Amino acid sequence: MHTLRLISTFIKMNFQIAMAYRVDTVINILLSMLWLGWELLSLSIIFNNTQTLGGWGPGELVALLGVFHLVNMVMGAVIWPATEKFNSSVRDGSLDYTLLQPANSLFLISFSRIVLWRIWDLFLGFTLVGVGVKMSGGATSGFNLVSFLVLVGSGMLVIYSLWVVLIAATFWFVKFDNNVTILQALMDSGRYPATIYPPWLRVIVTFVVPIAVATTVPLQALRGELSGLRVLMFIAIGVASLLVARQIWKAGVRKYSGASS
Amino acid sequence: MLRIYKRLWQVNWAEQWQYRANLLMYLLYWLVSPIVYLAVWTTVATHQGSVNGLTANDFITYYMVLLIVDQMTSETTIYILAYKIQDGTLSGDLVKPVHPILTNTLVNNLAFKALTFMVMIPVWLVLLLLFKPNFSGVTWQAVLLAIPAIVMGFVISFLLGATLTCLAFWTTRVYSIAEFYTTLHMLFSGQFVPLTLMPKFVQDLAQFLPFQLRLYFPIQLILGKLPQAMIIQNFALDLVWLLIAFGLFSLVWRAGVKRFSAVGA
Repeated sequence: MHTLRLISTFIKMNFQIAMAYRVDTVINILLSMLWLGWELLSLSIIFNNTQTLGGWGPGELVALLGVFHLVNMVMGAVIWPATEKFNSSVRDGSLDYTLLQPANSLFLISFSRIVLWRIWDLFLGFTLVGVGVKMSGGATSGFNLVSFLVLVGSGMLVIYSLWVVLIAATFWFVKFDNNVTILQALMDSGRYPATIYPPWLRVIVTFVVPIAVATTVPLQALRGELSGLRVLMFIAIGVASLLVARQIWKAGVRKYSGASS
Repeated sequence: MLRIYKRLWQVNWAEQWQYRANLLMYLLYWLVSPIVYLAVWTTVATHQGSVNGLTANDFITYYMVLLIVDQMTSETTIYILAYKIQDGTLSGDLVKPVHPILTNTLVNNLAFKALTFMVMIPVWLVLLLLFKPNFSGVTWQAVLLAIPAIVMGFVISFLLGATLTCLAFWTTRVYSIAEFYTTLHMLFSGQFVPLTLMPKFVQDLAQFLPFQLRLYFPIQLILGKLPQAMIIQNFALDLVWLLIAFGLFSLVWRAGVKRFSAVGA
């Protein structure tokens, strides 16, 4: 209840911020449509030259693009703005006030700044997934659809957890202020199925910076390539990584001693 | 003048050297997309033998050369300068008796480039072992000829980037404009795919735009894929765009500085 009230306050606050920058909101949405146009054009260039990309058809890649937009939404709406705020608050010491507040510190850091126009990507993402599934024949079973949705969620948990670990590292290595660059730089790999990458890159995007766990894996579930056991395994990985990340965050906060001391 | 550049180099080199630990991170930005595209197109090419006449090896060599050319001709002016215009700290640079962009910003760009290049080389060599490209079509003459093309490509993109940055004198939305510029660059430079695979109208337009002069032209020149007439045409275009870019930049800079002092007063 307490958490819900906080969230709704955050959304209200950020709505007011967004309303102060109305023209920017419009410009940002136009730019994101432009990028979408580019992404669809690049897919059409690929499929003008081939029928399948490593066994994946055009509809499936459109659906993958949709999943990528969902992940990108979470990154753009929550993770990047929160990183910016966190890094500057470590530098100038204002993190002290956040830690003193009577709420979960990780929750406050993650959700107090939300870029609302990114919700647009949520709409885009689901539309693309729908269109993609339809294009590729549309014979998906209920089980596949449900496991797809659950795996998108657990994939995002994995990425969120990695982010928590990366920013918590700042408590030990103060100068580590481009902590999330590795995450940002590898995001682009989520637009295409990880199965076509050379083995070493596949290992990186699956185990080191698990972008593929949030993009390729859910789509494999939608295609019915994952057994129930595998689906459960990925859900377990999502939950486990969140628990580990929370512990690391708590250890980091105990280590933290303020910018001036 | 030469002494000024030498001193600026020392300052900027030392400044960049402080951030050497971050360089590997920045390098990732350069590496990821070309490698992803390389994977996409080699998958297609091996699946069906060739794409529009291009073999898997053609794609591997294209993106391997692209990694180098992209690094050499890229520029970071907007990150160095836009915030200075916005928060007013540019006034400190303006009172110095040298042009702030054509000296300090330029040298800063070059120092960043030199340092990232040092990290880039070993990574590139590792990629060479991983992808095993066959560079037998590349000749020394072509590589030598590509040097002026790369230098001009960099100068053009630097001047255009500086022009874009100077729009910060008028608008706070300069980063949105830069993003729009990036999408144009994606489309017309040959970054995503060799331009011959693009739709016909994109190819026709790209031919005369400055974007391909910093990527597609030098890459194809090195790979020995251009007939002589095309090489001459592109060098001529280089000169034309150099003049246009310099003219645009001077105009926007002069008008911008005038406006800037009016705001400060």
